Amino acid sequence: MTISPAFRLPLLALFGLPLAAMPMMPVPLNAAPAAAPTPKAAIAARQAGYKKMGAAMKALNDQLKTGTPMKATMVGAAQTLAAAAREQPRLFPAGSGPTAGVRTDALPNIWTDRATFDGQMAKLIAESGKLIAVVNGGNVDAIRTQAKATGATCAACHRQFRADN
Amino acid sequence: MAPLAPSRSILIWDIYIRLFHWLLVALLGFSWWSGERHEMEWHRLSGYGIFFLLIFRVYWGVFGTGTARFAHFVRSPHATFVYLKALGQHPHRTTVGHNPAGGWSVLLLLATVMAMVIAGLFAVDVDGLESGPLSDYVSFDQGRMASDLHAMLFSLLLLLVALHIAAILYHLLRLRDDLVGPMFHGRRTLAVEEEVDLPAGTPWRALVGLLIAAACTWAIGFR
Repeated sequence: MTISPAFRLPLLALFGLPLAAMPMMPVPLNAAPAAAPTPKAAIAARQAGYKKMGAAMKALNDQLKTGTPMKATMVGAAQTLAAAAREQPRLFPAGSGPTAGVRTDALPNIWTDRATFDGQMAKLIAESGKLIAVVNGGNVDAIRTQAKATGATCAACHRQFRADN
Repeated sequence: MAPLAPSRSILIWDIYIRLFHWLLVALLGFSWWSGERHEMEWHRLSGYGIFFLLIFRVYWGVFGTGTARFAHFVRSPHATFVYLKALGQHPHRTTVGHNPAGGWSVLLLLATVMAMVIAGLFAVDVDGLESGPLSDYVSFDQGRMASDLHAMLFSLLLLLVALHIAAILYHLLRLRDDLVGPMFHGRRTLAVEEEVDLPAGTPWRALVGLLIAAACTWAIGFR
């Protein structure tokens, strides 16, 4: 039995068109994360990221305040902190400063002194990465020291590049 | 022996009230300075100091000397209104201790500073690095809210302090009544016919209050 020509075109359309469209699909799917987000989306995303980091830092410090800190909690906090830190640098596109039209404490010198800002970001990523290793090491005094060192990168950058502090 | 002068000097503010007042002024100033400078270790200690003072003041408001007692200076809103209406009329009659309006001002000031200290106990900074001693009982977001409340209450406190100073200036300039001097030396000159009997607070009562305040502060700040 042969398929009549009347059926061929719709079948081709049904199976063929999605196939024909396939090569185009991966382009937007892959390109989306690499593209710079819009200023407003970037501000919302980085503020959410900073809140996550603040909460993680508090969770870690709360453990260090107790006599018997729980390692699992501290490892989780350090991982959250480091992962969020790595996301932050790309969330400061041009135009996402005080002129963006939404509330942000980001100072304009982030964009005029970008090299220094990126250097501070690199320090945060390095220190928070080291924090995971130190927490996994399990030495409470060393964790305390590294938590302070990581926190110092937050504070140093905020003094320079954040308003209302 | 008949008194030669028509007036006499009596003690209206005991040493505990005067110390409370000026230590509170000093610690509020220091708290502001250390907070602005991000000297959070100092800021926390200063807050504990204020907490200690407030606990003692509340105790002294119940068990202390005459003018310190809440029962002595907390008047009904009606009495306060009547007092304020008569305020501009001459001659001005001085009050032994807090006048009715001043009494409400004191209550409001004490409540604001107390609320501010309590908010500070739970406050968390933006980085999750510095926090009040009870912040481990709340989440990061709740701690941030406590911190915002702490800041808002400070604005309210500044307003109340401005009102406090304005009232003192009004007494000094319009009513020719110096309120600042007595807060230093505790004494005030009154006409002899104004019979006042102020029960004296005993040192051991003050000691009990100091111990209670110290225990409360220790339990919260140094647990």
